Amino acid sequence: MENVFVGDVISVSIGLSREQDPVKAVREAMQQARAGLSREQVSLAVVFSTINLAHPATLEIINTLLGEVPVIGCTGAALITNKGIFSCGLAIVLLSLPKATYFNTALVQEIHNKTALAAGEDLGEKLLHNFHGTRRDLGIVFCDGLVEEGWSLIHGLQERLGTSFPLIAAFAADNLRFAKSSVYFNRQVSSDAATGILWGGRLDFSWGIRHGWKPLGKPHLITRSAENVVYDIDTEPAAKVYADYLGVGVDGLKKELKRISVFYPMGIYLPGIEEYLLRSVKSIGEDGSLVFHGNIPQDSTIRLMIGTKDSCLDAAGQALSEAKAGLQLTPENKVGIAFIFESVSRYLLFGRDAEKELKIAKETLGKDTPIIGIYTYGEQAPLRMINYQGKTYFHNQTITVLAIGG
Amino acid sequence: MPVHESIFNTISIVSVITILALLILVIMKNTRLKELESDVDNLKKSLDEMDEQAKLIVRTDIELNKAQEELDKKIAGLYSLQGLSRTISTTLVENQIFKMVEASGLQELGFEKACSFLWNEKDKKFTTYLSIGYTREETDLINATVNLNKAPYLDLINSNKTISSVSLQDAFLKEKITSIFKILSFIASPILPKEGSKGFLFVGTENMDTVIGEGDEELIVILTNQISQALENARLFEQTWKAQQELEKKVEERTQELKSALEAVKIVSKRKSDFISAVSHELRTPLTSIKGYASILLAGKLGQLPEEVRLRLDKVNRHSDELTSLVNDLLDISRIESGKVTMRREPLDIGAVAADMLDFFSVQTKEKQIQLSSSVAKGEFSVSADVSQIKRVFINLVSNAIKFTPAEGKITVSATKSGGFIQVDISDTGCGIPGDAKEKIFEEFYRVENAVNDTVKGTGLGLSLVKHIIEAHGGKIWVTSKAGAGSTFSFTLPQKE
Repeated sequence: MENVFVGDVISVSIGLSREQDPVKAVREAMQQARAGLSREQVSLAVVFSTINLAHPATLEIINTLLGEVPVIGCTGAALITNKGIFSCGLAIVLLSLPKATYFNTALVQEIHNKTALAAGEDLGEKLLHNFHGTRRDLGIVFCDGLVEEGWSLIHGLQERLGTSFPLIAAFAADNLRFAKSSVYFNRQVSSDAATGILWGGRLDFSWGIRHGWKPLGKPHLITRSAENVVYDIDTEPAAKVYADYLGVGVDGLKKELKRISVFYPMGIYLPGIEEYLLRSVKSIGEDGSLVFHGNIPQDSTIRLMIGTKDSCLDAAGQALSEAKAGLQLTPENKVGIAFIFESVSRYLLFGRDAEKELKIAKETLGKDTPIIGIYTYGEQAPLRMINYQGKTYFHNQTITVLAIGG
Repeated sequence: MPVHESIFNTISIVSVITILALLILVIMKNTRLKELESDVDNLKKSLDEMDEQAKLIVRTDIELNKAQEELDKKIAGLYSLQGLSRTISTTLVENQIFKMVEASGLQELGFEKACSFLWNEKDKKFTTYLSIGYTREETDLINATVNLNKAPYLDLINSNKTISSVSLQDAFLKEKITSIFKILSFIASPILPKEGSKGFLFVGTENMDTVIGEGDEELIVILTNQISQALENARLFEQTWKAQQELEKKVEERTQELKSALEAVKIVSKRKSDFISAVSHELRTPLTSIKGYASILLAGKLGQLPEEVRLRLDKVNRHSDELTSLVNDLLDISRIESGKVTMRREPLDIGAVAADMLDFFSVQTKEKQIQLSSSVAKGEFSVSADVSQIKRVFINLVSNAIKFTPAEGKITVSATKSGGFIQVDISDTGCGIPGDAKEKIFEEFYRVENAVNDTVKGTGLGLSLVKHIIEAHGGKIWVTSKAGAGSTFSFTLPQKE
């Protein structure tokens, strides 16, 4: 694959298809994306689709139509686009990048054979290849959402790439079966894998991350935990404490966990940070422990969190505003493109109102701003743009907005 | 008191005071501690109470969310059902109806797999019409398995019963269905159009979280009713379309038959004209000989004839004239019919022709005491026509009028302008023509049965010839008449350009 850079500003075009057939879908999306791009040369293609369209033929066709242009992307539970939110579809983003920018893409496979941390280190190593002395600006990672302890992938990455620049990650999702999710890299569709892009040069970008859940009830202390498994809260079995709040009993909780855990995650208090760091419950261990999507350190103070559609919509507005505010915008330089990586739990929470969030995004970013995103099984990003302290957190239930200047 | 004692006393007093103060302080601190402990207890109690309230809030919120979810599911279901119904109703082709059932619509209803079968009465088996979420091989296997044990599916159709993984009591059958269709939850509902093949729609999901409720069954029943209705419409349309096709085919066949018949008639008509023309020519030669010889004899060039012979020869001569006239008319008719005669069109003044007629028939009208008049002034109406032929028309019509008008009767010639045509009317106060004869009188050799025709001879060709001449000019001829109340013969001719 060869990197091509043209002109002084970024040129973006998005193609979308809702066809069920992968070949028809990619042809339609490519046609639209090609037609919308103001330049002939394409530097990078980002592909998002629902799992039913994750087919090698998709990438083969893109490669045939674009030539050796780097391709990255992944599957999501649904697509977020300017045209609406779709539970079935394929979107292709074609980017023609300015000369001042630089990037490198890489893929790491068979994560289960090494651990996510080691895979992160591998990916970091590959991303640095050929990067020479160019300043590193931003890293974006798409990781199979069903990889065990996927959150530690970023830590591995940071081991190699350092913490001087932010890393943002989205965890690929399927159609809520939790059976298979995939990442896209050039002509390969892979599961148990992660792909990433490391940006350098002068890329004007910014991000915002929010969830909108509020703490409820008294604070609790994590008295025993290891990685993402919490055994005891206030010296009592964790599942009992959680089930107590919900009034369903541990057995009842097991039955309805998938539905309930989306609405009532636990929040970890982080000093100086406005919002709590959310962790939603993944499963209940036989020993009465709670297994979370993401790690919870022992001795952390946690609280039960509650969210409403309104509070979550407000949070989305804040994340979008923060992302936009961080860009160096001028009347000529508008938002080039906004990537939205949003937790699938918000999709479930909003239901039919998911489009309201999209409406806010359009209103905040400008109605003609290209918007593309997916509903994920997890998001990873630093907590805030201002006073970035080099630490990237794994999040649940958030909306992460990555805006790139035009 | 020694100084030492005084110092000692002072120290003792201070010590006592200090001890007392310390005691007071300790007491006060203890009291404060107790107060603080009480405050902490109160705070703990408040926090616990707040936590209990939080639990209540969460539990209420769970209930609300559950209700909201169900409501959302129903609304989403209704939306997708409406979408499905709308697409289904866009086609009137039976095979297309099932293709219109979109996977996305069913997914919104919570089902990613679907199959539909229609019972083929002739082959006694189910045919697959819809398969969503299955590969071709899986579909074939499902079809074969369903046909291997048709009874439960036929029962579904015959009993008009919708079953689901929740409502089906027969655990064995439930197990079997979930295994055949590779799903965890399902609904099967019969498709029962009033006519034609009946069948059933099967929808299912592998999703463990999907809980099928009564509302879901109702939605699928509505969908199958829509499919049944669409099938009925398609079948009715098919029948109507087929009937129309048959009708069109029949019309086409009849048109062809009529065309052939018309061609045959034309051939026959041409043969008839040719025959008449040939026969007439053949008759005219001997007729001229007969008339010639009769004239020679009558002129006495071969000697004086006895009166008896002369009278007979007169008859031969007169009959020869009549026969010649008949043959000439026949020849003219056949010539016009075959297009051999072309009308030499030139400006013709109707008023002048009418005036000529008054002169021409003056003797006859005087003899018969009939008043023949014309209201057409010379130069008033001018047509484009063949002068000699139109004069024949006038002569034929006026002579007919004189023939059928009794003494003291009236014959009038008038003309009016009608569109691009001039209409000429020749009216008499004669015996009139009975209704059923009005059309026939223009046919060849047709003669109205009446007293006049019984006594006065005629060929029955005059009106036919007139009709041919008028039509050859692009005009029309017709008669309005009442038996006993006179007749009006009207014809039109194109106005002079």
